[in-house]
Amino acid sequence: MRALAFAWRSLVRQPARTALGILGVAAVGALLFDMLLLSDGLVTSMRDILDRTGFDIRVTPTGELPRGGNRIANASAVLKTFAALPEVERVMALRFADGGIEMGPGSGAAGKDDSRPHYETVSVQAVGGGEPYPWTVLRGRDVQGPNEVVVNEALAQAFGVGPGTTLPLRPQCQSRSEVLPPAMMRVVGIVEFPLALGEHIVGTSMATLDGACGGNSPDEAEAVLVRAAGDVDAAAKALARARPDLRPMTNAQVLGRLQRTGFTYFQQISAVLTTVTLAFALLLITVLLTVSVNQRVGEIAALRALGLSRGRVVADVLCESVLIVGSGGLLSLPLGFALGQGLDRILKDMPGIPSAMHFFVFQPQALAWHGGLLALTALLAALYPMRLVASLPIATTLRNEVTS
Amino acid sequence: MTSTPIVRADRVTRAFAMASGPVVAVRDVSLAIAAGDYLAVRGPSGCGKSTLLHMLGCVDTPSEGTLEFEGRDVAKLSDRERSLLRLRAIGFVFQRFFLLPMLTAAENVELPQSEAGAGRRDRQARTRELLEYVGLAARADHRPSQLSGGEMQRVAIARALANKPRLLLADEPTGELDQTTGEHIAELLDRVNADGTALVIVTHDHTLAGRARRVVTLRDGQVESDRTR
Repeated sequence: MRALAFAWRSLVRQPARTALGILGVAAVGALLFDMLLLSDGLVTSMRDILDRTGFDIRVTPTGELPRGGNRIANASAVLKTFAALPEVERVMALRFADGGIEMGPGSGAAGKDDSRPHYETVSVQAVGGGEPYPWTVLRGRDVQGPNEVVVNEALAQAFGVGPGTTLPLRPQCQSRSEVLPPAMMRVVGIVEFPLALGEHIVGTSMATLDGACGGNSPDEAEAVLVRAAGDVDAAAKALARARPDLRPMTNAQVLGRLQRTGFTYFQQISAVLTTVTLAFALLLITVLLTVSVNQRVGEIAALRALGLSRGRVVADVLCESVLIVGSGGLLSLPLGFALGQGLDRILKDMPGIPSAMHFFVFQPQALAWHGGLLALTALLAALYPMRLVASLPIATTLRNEVTS
Repeated sequence: MTSTPIVRADRVTRAFAMASGPVVAVRDVSLAIAAGDYLAVRGPSGCGKSTLLHMLGCVDTPSEGTLEFEGRDVAKLSDRERSLLRLRAIGFVFQRFFLLPMLTAAENVELPQSEAGAGRRDRQARTRELLEYVGLAARADHRPSQLSGGEMQRVAIARALANKPRLLLADEPTGELDQTTGEHIAELLDRVNADGTALVIVTHDHTLAGRARRVVTLRDGQVESDRTR
């Protein structure tokens, strides 16, 4: 009987203890899996979001992320300059504005809550430079003409609007104190804004926003998005040469900055929790195996007396560890996946999280790390009980077993 | 018997280090066991019987003196070499049987053969043969918990004989059994010896010791008497 089969029989001999061990490893393994998903999940998710927008470079005045710094002045001139560069395939200006929607009787809105007048704050995302826009249409169609807007799912559900309905939008164009009459916008689609912050978001063209502002909107943009014609780094250098006062950042640079700043906290938390969960698994398995070995020292000494080698009885203990950790580890994957989904939903409900952002993102290397770390845990957890078995004095143990 | 000894102890002493100073369990014992011998080691509790048996079975080595197994100095063998020696040439029967509870009778008998590298068919054939030999062919698929004490000891004897050892060592083989069952086990051991396996039994039981052709009596770790019938 090979060591693995022998170890399996030994485990089955104590079904309750083995089940507890496997369930313990499954719980710890699920947490470990989630920590591994979390450690790189944000970066992966952000990379995916940046790639989905279809642009390689973001140009801002200071190198801060959009909405984090000053605006680019004379945005239309900047667009023209960049569009003329051979390294650039297409450009788009991006501008954010706050705004409000008047709901209730007489507002003209086709919303569901018409019983009393009230005002809801929304975020407006306006783009200049034409299609395709940096959002994904879920229902309806994209913005094509004047006074057309798209809204996100949260806004559509909250206000009961959809393609074909109207929305009285009151944008804040120059300052928060200005009072403009609401502009009636036609909702043409429900979209997902990958990078948008805020709960209720309206997307439209720069021209529509300017119209809603009574033609009084400044020619500014938070960022200019650029798709490179070829090499991204070469395009970024060309942009910097064309406008040395602006700071182009490639998607990789944006990711690098996020990794160095905001995402570091998650990675640190993930590393600490990973270490703690592994320590729990290590202690759990070590205790289980040590108790098991101590209960069987007579049998083990007898097996050694019958000629089973030291390596063989040590291998039996290691195999028991591998079987417990392996079974628990396999069970931990669906558990961890389900747990990660739940945690992701909770975290995504936090204010200020882009709608397309995910915290727990599956990646094949997380699976490899999970397996590798659990294998290492199985080995380390078995070290002490293996040492007990390896150093077991055969004659003394047999004598003690008879006299005890 | 005058043939070449399987195991020869030459003035062996075994001392154990204790907090209060060394305790000598076996002192200056010389003994030779040849093929087909039937030896009983008697003596009061704590006289060193089991310690001597463990040295003869190569699970322990003498503190002083020389112990040779088939001409090889046991003290000079590595742990792995001693394991292999025990696996192929020595069989052990314990007072408490030490059958593995999660294995059937047949699997317990197969285990040492498997460790010795025997093929599956050979193992199964040998296991069937041994279980028939000890009268337990019908209980091959039973686990130890489903067997009586006498049946467990029979399985333990079959397991000890699995790799056709030249020397069988039994430490109080009837110590956990009632008188009638003990006699049946003694008869089985007689048969094992009659079939050519050298047998050394450590026992308190005068009746069991009386079945051996040679009886060595120990007292305080030393040979008090060595009588051959």
